[in-house]
Amino acid sequence: MRHAYPNTLKLLTLILTSFIASATFSQAVLKGKITDAKTGEALAGATVQLDGSHMSVLTNLDGTYLFKQVKPGNYELKVSYEGYKKAEDINIVLQPIATLVRNVALEQNITELSEVNITTAAVSGSDRSARQIEKNAAPIVSVLSAQTMQLLPDLTVGNSLQRISGVSVQRSGSGEARHAIIRGMDQRYNNTLVNGVKVSSPDPRYRSLPLDLFPSEILERLEVVKSGLPSIEGDFVGGSVNMVMKSAPEKFMLQANASTGFSTLFSSSRPFQAYSHSAANAQSPAERMGSSYNATASDFPKGTLNYTNKNLPFNTTAGFTIGGRTHDNKLGVLTSASYQNIYRGDNNTFLMPNAQPQILNLSGGGHLDNQAVISDLYLRNYSTQTARIAVHNKIDYVFNNRNSIALYNMYVHMNEFETRNTYDSVYLNKLTDNLMRSRTLKQSIYNGTLRGDHTLSDVFGLNWTGTYSIAKGAQPDWAEYDYQGANNSYIAQNMTRIWQHNKNQDLAGYLNFLYRPEIAGSKVEFSLGGMYRHRTRDNYQIDYKLTPVTVGGVPQSWTDFNSATYQFKSADAGIESKNINTSNTYTSHENVGAGYLQAKFTLLQKLEVIGGARAEHTLQNYATIAPATSVNRSGTVSYTDLLPSAILRYALTSDQNIRFSYFRSIIRPDFYQIVPTEDIGEEFNIKGNPYLKHTKADNIDLKYEIFPGGSAQFSVGAFYKAIYDPIELGITRDGGPSAQYLTPLNFGTARDYGIEAVFSKYFGMFGVSANYTYTKSKITTTKQYYYKDDVKGATFKTVNQTRPMQGTSPSIGNLSLLYKNPHIGLDLQLAFVYVGERISIVSPYYNLDYWQAPQELLSFSFEKRFCKKFSLYGKVNNLTNQPVRRYIKQSPQQSAAVTLPDQIYSNKTVVGKDIYNMDLQTGVRYKF
Amino acid sequence: MNLKFSIFSVALTLLVLTSCSKWSDEKRDLYQPPAVVVSPISDAAPLHGGITGTMLAGKTYTIDGDVTIKAGDTVFVQPGAHINIKNQAGLFVKGSLISLGSKDAPVWFTVDSLQKLKNDRPNQDPTKDPAFAGGWVGIYCDTSCYQLILKWTHIEFAGNPLTADQGSLVHQKSGTAFSILFQNPNGIFVMEDSWLYGGVDDPIRISNGRICFMRNTFEKGGAHGGDCLNAKGGTVGDMAYNLFVGMATNGQKASNKGIPAGASQTNIRMWNNTFVHCGYRQIQIGRGGDIDFEEGAKGIAYNNLIVNCKFGIRIVSNPAADTANISYGYNYSYGDSLAVVNQIYPTNASGSGGWTRPQSTDIPAYTAFLPAGYKYGDSYDGTPAIQKNNPLFVNFPLPVPNNIPLYGIQAVANYDFRLQVNSPAIGKGYINFSPLAAVPIDPKYGATEITLPGRDIGAFQFNGTGNQHHP
Repeated sequence: MRHAYPNTLKLLTLILTSFIASATFSQAVLKGKITDAKTGEALAGATVQLDGSHMSVLTNLDGTYLFKQVKPGNYELKVSYEGYKKAEDINIVLQPIATLVRNVALEQNITELSEVNITTAAVSGSDRSARQIEKNAAPIVSVLSAQTMQLLPDLTVGNSLQRISGVSVQRSGSGEARHAIIRGMDQRYNNTLVNGVKVSSPDPRYRSLPLDLFPSEILERLEVVKSGLPSIEGDFVGGSVNMVMKSAPEKFMLQANASTGFSTLFSSSRPFQAYSHSAANAQSPAERMGSSYNATASDFPKGTLNYTNKNLPFNTTAGFTIGGRTHDNKLGVLTSASYQNIYRGDNNTFLMPNAQPQILNLSGGGHLDNQAVISDLYLRNYSTQTARIAVHNKIDYVFNNRNSIALYNMYVHMNEFETRNTYDSVYLNKLTDNLMRSRTLKQSIYNGTLRGDHTLSDVFGLNWTGTYSIAKGAQPDWAEYDYQGANNSYIAQNMTRIWQHNKNQDLAGYLNFLYRPEIAGSKVEFSLGGMYRHRTRDNYQIDYKLTPVTVGGVPQSWTDFNSATYQFKSADAGIESKNINTSNTYTSHENVGAGYLQAKFTLLQKLEVIGGARAEHTLQNYATIAPATSVNRSGTVSYTDLLPSAILRYALTSDQNIRFSYFRSIIRPDFYQIVPTEDIGEEFNIKGNPYLKHTKADNIDLKYEIFPGGSAQFSVGAFYKAIYDPIELGITRDGGPSAQYLTPLNFGTARDYGIEAVFSKYFGMFGVSANYTYTKSKITTTKQYYYKDDVKGATFKTVNQTRPMQGTSPSIGNLSLLYKNPHIGLDLQLAFVYVGERISIVSPYYNLDYWQAPQELLSFSFEKRFCKKFSLYGKVNNLTNQPVRRYIKQSPQQSAAVTLPDQIYSNKTVVGKDIYNMDLQTGVRYKF
Repeated sequence: MNLKFSIFSVALTLLVLTSCSKWSDEKRDLYQPPAVVVSPISDAAPLHGGITGTMLAGKTYTIDGDVTIKAGDTVFVQPGAHINIKNQAGLFVKGSLISLGSKDAPVWFTVDSLQKLKNDRPNQDPTKDPAFAGGWVGIYCDTSCYQLILKWTHIEFAGNPLTADQGSLVHQKSGTAFSILFQNPNGIFVMEDSWLYGGVDDPIRISNGRICFMRNTFEKGGAHGGDCLNAKGGTVGDMAYNLFVGMATNGQKASNKGIPAGASQTNIRMWNNTFVHCGYRQIQIGRGGDIDFEEGAKGIAYNNLIVNCKFGIRIVSNPAADTANISYGYNYSYGDSLAVVNQIYPTNASGSGGWTRPQSTDIPAYTAFLPAGYKYGDSYDGTPAIQKNNPLFVNFPLPVPNNIPLYGIQAVANYDFRLQVNSPAIGKGYINFSPLAAVPIDPKYGATEITLPGRDIGAFQFNGTGNQHHP
């Protein structure tokens, strides 16, 4: 598919040139540059009006503007830009056939941004404000503005994140970007915030929020904070993802958009397979009928596993935002809503290695130990419909310039309906398995936050936040059936039905005091504060397995699913206690209390120092419904950490900084990691470990940055992290094969370091934005090694292996080419993402980790304004139809009997390939 | 009575009689302390909860709730004890269980109410047969169980799926439905001269251990699947002189799957076993019908008699058995129908992954029905082998009458699988190999007798040795 590239580029060039209108000559020309009066940086997108001519333009990305074909005469020039004082009454006299240059500097209307922006940013959502935050914020932070996200082809926050420097994404089974990998550290090492506040996650396992739940259009900006401060929660190592929702603008705003599109994967030969969404019971038979109820096959209706084909399902999205301020600008209200209904697919090939490595005898004598041998070839077609609704509302009231309060409400909901059709051919065998699976995933989050800011005197201030959130996740009636055959005669196999749900609630309060005295002629800011959070989690899971009814003494022949009949293994096997997943049914709590002291002062006018320490106390407890005889059926774990941190920012010039940062942070184990739960895994079941220690880390950053103005920037930095007691899965033996578990364990000290560079610059209407991150991480964990022992024969031994941490790609890069023509209201963007190889699944066996092959993703998007308030936009994702491959770093075991498909490497065995194909989306936006 | 002493004296007498040169041997009559009398277990009230001690000869016990033998404790069962299990209870062994029945007074672990419904006539509908009903959970040994010794003991109607609570006692998930589980690579599991009747999934799952299965009878094992003696990674020992009738899948299976680090490779020697009408209730395709060697397992299979089973001996190729270290031959196959003889050497097309190599010592000679140019795994026309080489059992109709389908034979009933005097299976066995003898020889704490390879094919030797279960 690589050769498709040049053609696509040609096409794009064609589109680009056809959009650029050619200009004609005129009598007079007026041009100039609009800049910030204080910093001198160029202001892009400022409105320049020539009164008396009814002409108006927006400035280019480098701040320049141009009026051609102006009649000679006297005019008044007006320049306005959000967040700046208007410049008016600028008299202009234009002479015939002359060019006049008039530059204008605007005065800022805003006060300095605080370190962590929880409150309203005066200039919201623009690229320029994003750069300002990056420049002025105390911690090292990367910001993606609403403006940038609007043009990107990404519909969810998860997908937008991959555009940020040092960030790649971890995808869900159905290919949605769900979690962030920041600086090579996967989701366990990062935290996720909404408006700077932690909210509950509906994920059944992780505390990190599933980021495909959030439509990116409800955001004002997306921040990734990469260094810690005493005043912010210290539970991240890679970074902290903060989704800042839109807030009330100064002027009345109304925006609406609607779009439609489709994935090119679907056709009449590869239709989307849909099942009835209403057929799934929300509750398991045991929940509906009581725990002593003996379920029978009739309690498992077949509707969930009946499918209808859609040849080319259309995606729809719609968004709506309204906001403004009244009562002398004291009351601000904003409501934003978003709806998405997306049909996606994945044609997946999976060469499944046998669960356990093998010893291969070589034809010339000798043998190879610990070899992955492919046992099955799975061809899986996924059809996934994802419906998202997000509503966000913010009300703020400014009593006076000393007191304000703000209330946020957010509700996000996602329903994912996934059909998986599997054709499994067993190698060296004429046997095939045919499996159909329906999986419904429902996730929602509600968050309500009330915040107040109070300036008590010239030197005293305080702010407080109270927040409640509830997140629910459910997989009602996960259903799969199977039939197996050879020689075109098929036998019915087991049917599995699973119900899982979890509920998470957070209640938290934050209080911060600020004291800003003047000491020795310079301002010093002390802050002292604390927070307390109470988190609860409930989990429930029940797995029913039904077998086909045997007729007389013979297995049931297969004709079709609706004719198949099922039963339980034995007479009373349908009751709750014979099916419930005991240890995965639990309640747990986490109470975190924290306090900090922080000081900020400036030395020698150029060196800003922020430092202090934070103490966090954690108490986690859990209770499972395992019987009283079970070891660790309930438990409590608590610990306290002292987290010092310091940031030094040395301003070389007004637009250049050198930053140094040190912070100590912790990672608390997820509940599923400490609760002795048992979960069905691919090779081994996974069981929680209540003896797990929490992870501690020392993080150092050094960075140089320059912000020449507008959205231009260049920065280069290095980071180093030492991670103590990192948590990874290792094998423990607790019995027979069925009692060998993969369990989270602490493994010594891991290291993660690298460099990060960001560049963006505009040349008139053209812009380039690029970032590159090189990361190296190292961890040593125990693995199993299958070998031929002289005495014991073929057996395992436990060995150590050093490898990169899961998720670390040595190279991650982004390159975007932009064309923005404010005169005709056209934006074009070509965005390219590169993610180097990384471990996607850590194998319990030596050297048999699954790696994701390097990935390149090219997308194109445009937006064209028409009728002043409308614009037409389009997004094309994955222009080159890039498949995603996974491999094991072992030479493919080819033999005469078996030809493994899709082997493109000599020293790696390709075990998986996902084909998503290109998807297109086009729509209309209205902006008042 | 001191059994050790009696054996010693009998052996001595024999020596004396056979060899005059042994006259000079010393005689010894040394004091042996009386066996420790472990506190008797009372039969006055139904049992549940923790137990330890001895179940006394001739007494009838009722278990009405889950019973646990805690680590370090041992329960002895004396000959003739009858244990009736109610309420789908289970026996969970974290210590040791030693059940010592005798030929005249076997021990019973059964469900009385189901025993009354037992029906072993051919053509029983498995969906209505109490054998597959799972009347109780069975005997589940934890990883700490050091000894499970069953001699002259009947185990019946077990295999009810575990509840979550029961599973948590022995590291198993809810829904697991074995009749017996053993899972200690250093532990000893001996089953001699015993009977196992019925079951739901694998009747006996050996996750790992040192084992010895001698002279047992297995009937109606597994409802819709399950291998009767299913040995996983880290199991070492012998399986000989066992009779299997109507297993859902295999009678004996060896695999090295899931071997714990540091345990020994699964190595099982299987000789002189008889398999009759096995493999027909398994719902999965190509899964075997008598003996399977799978993933990384090694061992031996000689002198086995395979009658009307769904597949012949299966050496699995992917994931591969340790084919370089498996020896087999002198195995005797008989098939009533073309479907049976066409799988004496399991074919690829059947989904069984044929790797089994025909051996020159096989009976019937493969040259009689395999085409020239045959390659293992190929489909072939076995017509010449149909109903050839009738092994001539004392009482079992071969060919089976037309009104009984292959899956219709599930139990021993009144049949007698000893060999008639003119049986072609007599004298065809191979005896130049030895047992692994992975367990101690001991009347209580080990195997009483590991019967050496026999001259006659199958479990019943014409000279009366081998399996002792016959009319």
